[in-house]
Amino acid sequence: MAGVLEVRDLSKSFDGIVVASHIDLTLKSGSIVGLIGPNGAGKTSLFNLISGVVKFDSGTVLLDGSPLDRLKFHQRVRGGLSRTWQHTRLFPSLPVIDNLLIATHDYPGERLVNVLFGRRRLKAHDSVARDKAVGILGKMGLANVADDLVSDLPYGQQKLVGVARALMGDAKCLLLDEPMAGVEGQAYAAMQRVVREVAESGVAVCVVEHNIAFIRDLCDEGVFMFSGAIMARGSVAELIRDPQLTELYFGH
Amino acid sequence: MEYLYGIIIIIGLYVILATSFNLIIGYGGLVSIAHPVFFALGAYTSAVLSRDFGAPVLLAMLAGTLVALLASIALALPSLRVSGDYLLIASIGFQLGILEVIKNVRFTGGPGGFTNIPPFLIREFGRESYVVLVLAVMVAVILLVWWISRSDYGRAMSAMRDDELAFSSIGRDAMWMKIAIFGLGSGIAGLAGSLYAHYFRFIAPEQFEILQSSVILTMVVVGGLRTTWGPVVGALLLQALPQAISFLHLPPSVLGPIQGILFTGLVLVFMFFRPQGLVPAKEVWRAVQRPTGKAGENR
Ligand SMILES: Nc1ncnc2c1ncn2[C@@H]1O[C@H](COP(=O)(O)OP(=O)(O)O)[C@@H](O)[C@H]1O
Ligand SMILES: [Mg+2]
Repeated sequence: MAGVLEVRDLSKSFDGIVVASHIDLTLKSGSIVGLIGPNGAGKTSLFNLISGVVKFDSGTVLLDGSPLDRLKFHQRVRGGLSRTWQHTRLFPSLPVIDNLLIATHDYPGERLVNVLFGRRRLKAHDSVARDKAVGILGKMGLANVADDLVSDLPYGQQKLVGVARALMGDAKCLLLDEPMAGVEGQAYAAMQRVVREVAESGVAVCVVEHNIAFIRDLCDEGVFMFSGAIMARGSVAELIRDPQLTELYFGH
Repeated sequence: MEYLYGIIIIIGLYVILATSFNLIIGYGGLVSIAHPVFFALGAYTSAVLSRDFGAPVLLAMLAGTLVALLASIALALPSLRVSGDYLLIASIGFQLGILEVIKNVRFTGGPGGFTNIPPFLIREFGRESYVVLVLAVMVAVILLVWWISRSDYGRAMSAMRDDELAFSSIGRDAMWMKIAIFGLGSGIAGLAGSLYAHYFRFIAPEQFEILQSSVILTMVVVGGLRTTWGPVVGALLLQALPQAISFLHLPPSVLGPIQGILFTGLVLVFMFFRPQGLVPAKEVWRAVQRPTGKAGENR
């Protein structure tokens, strides 16, 4: 079965610093891939290349069989690619619920004509989006902070809001960049449950994470990255048992 | 009375200009200095079409608005494709360039200005009717910008200003939003220009110089960026001020510089002592209506 997302022979370097070297990666519907590797390995860069934040030098990225190369970041997202940020990047001037309401696949409020002449469309969208947002927040244990400002939340909860926001948009492929970094223990189960549920609904998921237990419990497959290249693939349990990789991971 | 009407209309038009500029720079986060030239495009289009091509004034005004709107989109489209910063540079070129064209082509009357612009409403219904028209447009513009800022579009503008990359990461298109904001704000400036032309019936390039841009900016900043009443208060204050000075009967050679110093001084004072302006903006975006239930009630 062809993957939802196919990365083929992707390469990129910044002034000689190689951040991606001939990367091949397939993300399949319903499966969760864990992307591990030490800091600076190029994990975030890979997400940036796939999503279009950074242009790659060579290679291809296919989403559902069609190339993404010519599409801008937001167009790729509209096409079904969703990602989160290592450092949250929420909208501080909006309450939590509004951070989610604005992140639906279609947001009629981004067109002025609708604001002036499409009140019914806006209302219809608002009620559907609100139900969805409240549902997602509930699952993540954030229901009671829906009306708070994101900047008033502890960092761990902000990370959860970031994931919640990425779930609003009906993605086919979800890229999570260190969702657990800074998240306290009690959210562990909630995050596991939510990500698994998303995958079960047919989404292809890729998770970058340093919390090895989290990724081992969650992922069907692991990929080890180092210095811009994929060094090994296998189950996460295998990868972390490999002494050579462990050495690369922790440094000498 | 005529003198008073003139002042009211000028103040009304500056409120329109400041409010529309607030949409661009405050809500849209777009830095442009070309607001006066869109004002000019509206004024000249409307004046030329009605005087020299026999267009009915109302249609000419609509055309003036449309020309400003289309010109602003033509300016924003290529520059915003590159990046937000290019808009400022492009707007400087546009402001200076278009004004230079106006000064140098025949059909605009050149540097001497364009005279005998057909009046509107005044002959039939008196000057009061024009005052009412301008004030009605002013109120409509204030309401429009208020409505937009508190609507779903306002939510999107807040998010876009907060973090454009994050805005893209949820599938939203910042570029087209910016173009729409710039187009609407500049179109409104064009409308103000048309309204100006058919009341005062004389327009000249020096009325639309780049200096006007700092006047409008001062109104918005001193009044309060990103607020409904800020630009209104700012326009009132900064129009009342020169009027008050003009009562001193200073010669024009002194008056100009004094106004310049006063405006610059005000901006500096506000930057240091009250950067939020007279009417401070709320830091949190809120919709016009919050749904019932706990949302919005407990804060
Ligand atoms: N925009 C950029 N310009 C130059 N170097 C970059 C840029 N982005 C990332 N890098 C470099 O790429 C390497 C990989 O970084 P990153 O993808 O953030 O790693 P990871 O997420 O695995 O910790 C680092 O050495 C980093 O300095
Ligand atoms: Mg990273």
